[in-house]
Amino acid sequence: MVLESTMICIDNSEWMRNGDYAPSRFQAQADAVNLICGAKTQSNPENTVGVMTMAGKGVRVLVTPTSDLGKILACMHGLEVGAEANLAAAIQVAQLALKHRQNKRQQQRIIVFIGSPVKYDKKVLETIGKKLKKNNVALDVVDFGETDDEKPEKLEALISAVNSSDSSHIVHVPPGENALSDVLISTPIFTGEEGGSGFAASAAAAAATGATGYDFGVDPNVDPELALALRLSMEEERARQEAIAKKAAEESSGETKDHASSSNSDSVMAEAEPASNASADDKRDLPKEDEDAQLLQQALAMSMDEGASGAAAVADAAMAEAGADDDELALALQMSVEDTQMSGQSDMTKVFEDRSFVTSILNSLPGVDPNDPSVKDLLASLNGQGEQEEKKDNSDKPNTPEDGKN
Amino acid sequence: MATAPATPAAAPAAAPAAAAVPASSVPRGQVDLVDFIDWTGVECLNQDPSHSIANALKQGYREDEGLYLASDSDEQLLIYIPFMQVIKLHSALFQGPEEEGPKTVKLFSNKEHMGFSNVNDYPPSDSVDLSSSHLVENKPVTLKYVKFQNVRSLTMFIEDNQSGGDITKIQKIALYGTTVDTTNMKDLKKIEEH
Repeated sequence: MVLESTMICIDNSEWMRNGDYAPSRFQAQADAVNLICGAKTQSNPENTVGVMTMAGKGVRVLVTPTSDLGKILACMHGLEVGAEANLAAAIQVAQLALKHRQNKRQQQRIIVFIGSPVKYDKKVLETIGKKLKKNNVALDVVDFGETDDEKPEKLEALISAVNSSDSSHIVHVPPGENALSDVLISTPIFTGEEGGSGFAASAAAAAATGATGYDFGVDPNVDPELALALRLSMEEERARQEAIAKKAAEESSGETKDHASSSNSDSVMAEAEPASNASADDKRDLPKEDEDAQLLQQALAMSMDEGASGAAAVADAAMAEAGADDDELALALQMSVEDTQMSGQSDMTKVFEDRSFVTSILNSLPGVDPNDPSVKDLLASLNGQGEQEEKKDNSDKPNTPEDGKN
Repeated sequence: MATAPATPAAAPAAAPAAAAVPASSVPRGQVDLVDFIDWTGVECLNQDPSHSIANALKQGYREDEGLYLASDSDEQLLIYIPFMQVIKLHSALFQGPEEEGPKTVKLFSNKEHMGFSNVNDYPPSDSVDLSSSHLVENKPVTLKYVKFQNVRSLTMFIEDNQSGGDITKIQKIALYGTTVDTTNMKDLKKIEEH
């Protein structure tokens, strides 16, 4: 809850027309400014924010520090982009505006957005920085856009001249996929020195983005360490599962060959089913592919262990599910089934000739979408030979969507 | 009480009244005003965050030789001290190192929220030129008493230091005077207790 008066200097020079920050530098900056204004005014009801431009027809104060968010947001509309930014003049004007703030108990802070080159000498900037420090004014710099002419170095020098007790910050934002405001929201410019105002930042962010849920149900702004730990652990687990899935797929392709000659058995299916049920239940909470793939592998391994016949049927069920979730796995399984087909062609066709059986299995599996094109393709490829006769068979079952396509 | 104000404050050695009381430097008839400072409002511009104004102004801290107030980006300091009640300021004491101690000190009464940019906008109520003897010995500087008869807040602008270096250090600041409002309930209670 820092009681603060902030002046935000926005860059409206010609350089802001560039589109390297979506949708344009200027618009990205405007979004970030709106967000900062929200965060500042929410962190303390007595906080005030003012806005000024650095380019156009000279440095101009749009709004003197006010707590009226509407006024601040309104002034951002219809701004003209043009000419060059005058950083030194802007900072000094901002300091003057802050000096005449109404509530003298407020700390003073200037936030500068600078996307155009800095033409001033390092020395000049350092002198200004010292003046700010002497008058107890904090300075935050958002460096984006142009990087020529030692701009980052100059701004770093400016910040190090101003900084006392870590109250001033600089953020370099390279152009990229992330929006300017998204990058800024986790920086000290938003969160401040205290953890407490991080809440305001997150609240502002939630208000701006429409408050969707966070990953893992943890707000990364409230507890960044926990969020990081969760993310790291999830990535590790994902890598591990991928490795397992790959290995299992290789193994299964080898094993199905051996157990190829067999008839289908319901016990195998019964075992495969609960596993897929569980996978379907877990889907909502956990990353789909990994969980499903793993359970699928388990089911597959179980059926193998049993040494049961009916590897083809298992493979079919497994494939159907894999097709819905994991293309790679589906491909591996398909290869294995093709092997099976070669060695035990007669048994395979027997199984698949019973088309109603296959579709009923598919429908009974909760995690399987029979409409899924990959499932259809797989079935089509397997049933290439006998599909004509089956068509008649299945046409009386309205809930088997393969019919139409087959 | 009457001897000192006759000579203007700038004369460094001509304070016989103060010199007569070496042990407790409080001028006769005056009290230490530290008890009347409104601490929530005390401000100091250009102070080094690790050597803050409290080191020089607060009871206990200012008696500690190791603790001092230091300037940060240059040698100037601007100290704003509001009081909880109206006071009359008689004299001030500055202690500091011989080299880095303050030299020119300008005092303004009842000027709120001054900045370095407007220190020259108003004439100071009094300007003190400190010598190294002031800083090392416990010698208060007598001020223009008539200019400080109705003080609600005091702003001290320390313009430069003895050596002209970039850092000014002040080990102790003490203000002596009387309160205008004689019915100070706090004082009355204390007397009753003892």
